[in-house]
Amino acid sequence: MSADRLIKFELSKLNVHLPERRLSLKEALSSAKPQVVSRDGSVHTFKREELEFLAGLLPEADRDKLQVPILIALEPKLGRGTARISGEAEVKVVSQVLEKELTAVELLIYRPEVAILRRKLPTTTQYLFLW
Amino acid sequence: MAIALAVSPTRMELLKLKQRVGLAQKGHDLLKEKMDALVIEFFEVLRRIQEARMKAFDQLSVAHRALSMGFAVVGTLETKQASKETKRELQVEISTRHIMGIAVPAVEVGEVERSALVRGYGLHMTSSVLDEASREFERALKLLIELAELEASAFAIVRELEKTKRRVNALEYILIPRLREALKFIMMRLDEMERENFTRLKRIKAMMEKRE
Repeated sequence: MSADRLIKFELSKLNVHLPERRLSLKEALSSAKPQVVSRDGSVHTFKREELEFLAGLLPEADRDKLQVPILIALEPKLGRGTARISGEAEVKVVSQVLEKELTAVELLIYRPEVAILRRKLPTTTQYLFLW
Repeated sequence: MAIALAVSPTRMELLKLKQRVGLAQKGHDLLKEKMDALVIEFFEVLRRIQEARMKAFDQLSVAHRALSMGFAVVGTLETKQASKETKRELQVEISTRHIMGIAVPAVEVGEVERSALVRGYGLHMTSSVLDEASREFERALKLLIELAELEASAFAIVRELEKTKRRVNALEYILIPRLREALKFIMMRLDEMERENFTRLKRIKAMMEKRE
């Protein structure tokens, strides 16, 4: 395999762990086994305690706006170690988890904060690699 | 020192090479991001391993103390006999979960603690002290299973990390420098050819002027 094909292959594999369709928090909470199917066909299961923790951070009306897993978008053009959280409900939740000031519909977080976020929400967050 | 690629110095090749450098750079940046994310995951698993290991060791020392008590109260031979009679099956469900595409084992274990009646040893020759020791070992077993799951996850993450690091290094220290070297070579060669053409044209012009 040539180097270029190898790079393209590696890039194509970067996001295979992402779900084909995300669930709203409301759907996930009402499901007996909250899980999503990833692009590679594997099943990703959410921990119920985490879903309940997220539900506690949001008002009832916003629960169908929050999509899980929350995507931590890593984009080289933002700079190494910088991640972006998009979506109104997602930003609200992440700001509360990280005890940050609430901003617009987009939030930039940095490596130590990514580590904290992943520690607190290991199954309800996932990395997304963008280019 | 990067070894230059064998390339023909044409404008077409120059464009192709620029695209290749762009792709390689993009791949490098993304793989580096992936590597950083894997490091975060690895340290998190490591932290959990330390906690789990401490808990398991504490529980094991409690269990061993209880066992020593069992040896003292019931007797060594009887305790060994009881251990041979004990049922050793445990139902565990091993599946996989994915951390950034890495399959890590997920072990789901049912109830590890059993009642004295289910364990299998005779109750008339043993004592409640032995039941207590068994219970403590069963608790330790549950913690050890959790620890095993975490350690397997750490190994899987490290393997992926190693693979990613190798690719990042190959791009950073071999492929990208070679491509840049080739790019530089073509640009210099094209400039040189342009200068040659310019000189040739000037000389032809001078010769034609002389003839006239």
